[in-house]
Amino acid sequence: MGVLANKGEKVKVRVRVNGVWYERYVSPRMLLVDFLRDELGLTGTKVGCDTTTCGACTVIMNGRSVKSCTVLAVQANGADILTIEGLAQDSKLHPIQQAFMDNFALQCGYCTPGMIMQTYFLLKENPNPTEEEIRDGLHGNICRCTGYQNIINAVKDAAGRMRS
Amino acid sequence: MLKVYLFIQYKYYKHVYPPDFAYYIPNSIYEAVDFLGRYDNARPLAGGQSLLPMLKLRLLNVDYIVDLNPLKELDYVSLNKDYMEIGALTRYYEVLKSSIVNEKLPLLSMVIRKVGDMQVRNMGTIAGSLANADPASDTCAVTLVFDADIVTTSSSGNRVIKARDFFKGPFTTALAKDEIVTAIRYPILEGYKFNFVKVVRRAGDYPLVSVAVAVKLKDGVIEDLRLGYAGVSQTPYRPFEVEKSFIGKSLKDSIEDIVSKVVEGVNPPSDTRGSSSYRKEVMRNVTRKALREVMG
Ligand SMILES: Cc1cc2nc3c(=O)[nH]c(=O)nc-3n(C[C@H](O)[C@H](O)[C@H](O)COP(=O)(O)OP(=O)(O)OC[C@H]3O[C@@H](n4cnc5c(N)ncnc54)[C@H](O)[C@@H]3O)c2cc1C
Ligand code: FES
Ligand code: FES
Repeated sequence: MGVLANKGEKVKVRVRVNGVWYERYVSPRMLLVDFLRDELGLTGTKVGCDTTTCGACTVIMNGRSVKSCTVLAVQANGADILTIEGLAQDSKLHPIQQAFMDNFALQCGYCTPGMIMQTYFLLKENPNPTEEEIRDGLHGNICRCTGYQNIINAVKDAAGRMRS
Repeated sequence: MLKVYLFIQYKYYKHVYPPDFAYYIPNSIYEAVDFLGRYDNARPLAGGQSLLPMLKLRLLNVDYIVDLNPLKELDYVSLNKDYMEIGALTRYYEVLKSSIVNEKLPLLSMVIRKVGDMQVRNMGTIAGSLANADPASDTCAVTLVFDADIVTTSSSGNRVIKARDFFKGPFTTALAKDEIVTAIRYPILEGYKFNFVKVVRRAGDYPLVSVAVAVKLKDGVIEDLRLGYAGVSQTPYRPFEVEKSFIGKSLKDSIEDIVSKVVEGVNPPSDTRGSSSYRKEVMRNVTRKALREVMG
């Protein structure tokens, strides 16, 4: 028989975030982004539009980028999740983070965690993207500050660093 | 003053939550449809890329969510003799990754490559788009171009619904309360030329108007013509009569005729994306562009 959680009841969710397993009891309507931010305290992932448009909440779930404001925490049960906090290794920035810094690809920085996670997915799928492919890959992420040009440069730069 | 007020409203009401719902995880397709039949106001959840935004914006209310995601048997692409079958839980991402889909259904790939953005395609499914039946969905329109077979399961068994009989109105389909889509069968159209033209207000949005075209030509003469529009009607739209009336005619000489005829049967909606008359104008333009490009 299937499992039913009635209204008001909580459901057990077990997820591996940045290499660590967590277990929490949550309401089925809890969104993944709030699970990460409020339950686990990982506030690097941002909420912008909250309506699947801006990409600020992008995280990697089972190897693919998702907008975590549009995924239920219960849908992530058993999943492997990577957030912006999981990229740096031994206090050394990930090449994508370094490329964003070096290319001035951020101003206020609000869109940046989402941009970087989407770039992470894009470069995993396509290690040597053309400019058009970069623009297509990032169009689900909105930036109100930079005018995108430096972001595109950063992604090209990051691609080069990661290939070498 | 109003601006400040709106800003505060926006700030405090910004973080939107779906209403409270009960949540059911079925072990089998049978359990899922059985549950849907027994409980009122229950809905299946696939990728959630339409369902969750609609719940958050209170365009929809549900009491029970039946999570189809554990039903891995619905996640596949398989090639049969003259059709391709795509399981209901196959994500857009996987459909686009599939080399047999790219090879055998180039029109489908062309269209869904432009659905939403990568993140949406990593979660969303074709079946979810069909069941959602948004009149602006290109996925629905292209499925109608193929007149695909939509395979469903309910407590009373399986059936096949032709795409042309599936869409009943905005966000309304032929599915019964306890019925889910389990697969879609796209016929392989051999010897056709394809095109897809989509006009959007901003990158990643649903189209204002889009058209998917399949045309079979012999020495420039139309043997079969199929035009599928999103955003111009209450449902995805195919001008079946117009299509038929051009069989046997030269495509080159007919483009302007087709362009003026296709808008006759529609009364497009006016909304934030555009007015009715503007949509008609765009419909003419995308039709002309799509057909001219097909001519090469
Ligand atoms: C930012 C954004 C941009 C988008 N742009 C486009 C676009 O350009 N063109 C386009 O066509 N679409 C677009 N979409 C819509 C997107 O394609 C659909 O949201 C999505 O793929 C629907 O599939 P899903 O699996 O997420 O369905 P869900 O959201 O899980 O479900 C949608 C509906 O279908 C029902 N349902 C789901 N699966 C089944 C099933 N197997 N049987 C019966 N009922 C079922 C659900 O109960 C619900 O009512 C966009 C969405 C977003 C968020
Ligand atoms: S906050 Fe999720 S897409 Fe904007
Ligand atoms: S840096 Fe401010 S939104 Fe992108």
